[in-house]
Amino acid sequence: MLSLCRYLLYLYPAAHRFEYGEEMAAVLCERQAESWNSGVVARWVFWAREIAGLLCGALQEHVRAMTGLCPWAVFPLRRFSMRSEFRFPKATAWLMMVILAAVVMAIEKAKAIQASLPDTHPYVGPIQPAQFTLISSFVVLFVGGCVVGAVGWAVLFALRRSGVQRLSKLRPSGDRSSGGRLSI
Amino acid sequence: MEALPLSEPVLLILLSLAERPRHGYSILKNVEEMSGGRVRLSTGTLYGAIRRLLDGRWIERFKEDDSSRGRQAYRLTSQGRQILRQEVSRLKQLTRVASLCMAPKET
Repeated sequence: MLSLCRYLLYLYPAAHRFEYGEEMAAVLCERQAESWNSGVVARWVFWAREIAGLLCGALQEHVRAMTGLCPWAVFPLRRFSMRSEFRFPKATAWLMMVILAAVVMAIEKAKAIQASLPDTHPYVGPIQPAQFTLISSFVVLFVGGCVVGAVGWAVLFALRRSGVQRLSKLRPSGDRSSGGRLSI
Repeated sequence: MEALPLSEPVLLILLSLAERPRHGYSILKNVEEMSGGRVRLSTGTLYGAIRRLLDGRWIERFKEDDSSRGRQAYRLTSQGRQILRQEVSRLKQLTRVASLCMAPKET
């Protein structure tokens, strides 16, 4: 069970694990030693509570890390806020320029292909009411929104991950970071 | 950071640290003791609360000098102590009002 809990610690965001992982593992060890004195049922209740606490905690920390918001605050009126330890990677600017260049090149290529082909577009008549339904429009809009949301989330996740990786390479200094790297 | 009134676990954690600086396991044990075994925090819940309290600068973290293991311990900041005082005073007033309301009325 202790091993399972140690693995569950990996569900936490890297920054949280770096800061508190060792301590949490040490507390879990102490609590496990204490739980040996209790009965079987009490021990299972104890582990169930620990596992549920770790899962909920990891979820809360991820929500906070991704949005900067407290998950318990309902409809908080705050913008997306970057954490103080977040560093915008310089590579992002280059990556965005490469993507922009690729898009521009794709548009130019499409124009060239269009110009090279003979004009063989068939006549397209007016859209009939049977062809246009509100539901399908909503479905298309919904799918489009999902795709845009997923792409946005992926970009934010990549930025956050690269920032955390860069931070983890830095040598910690001061009191708060004296715990060192997580070695669980 | 959460404003007044504090949740029971947060209040108990602050009360535990008001007595003296403690490390994580000691906080858990003390909270359990103070609540008579009613509030049993899991490790995940405790460290979630600790992280929020550290972010709000209600508590601070330091390395225990007298500990052979060099564990991290936590203590209340002056801001945390002030908020705890406010909360205790609020609870006292509430208890006073409750006592008055529930006292048998003379007819």
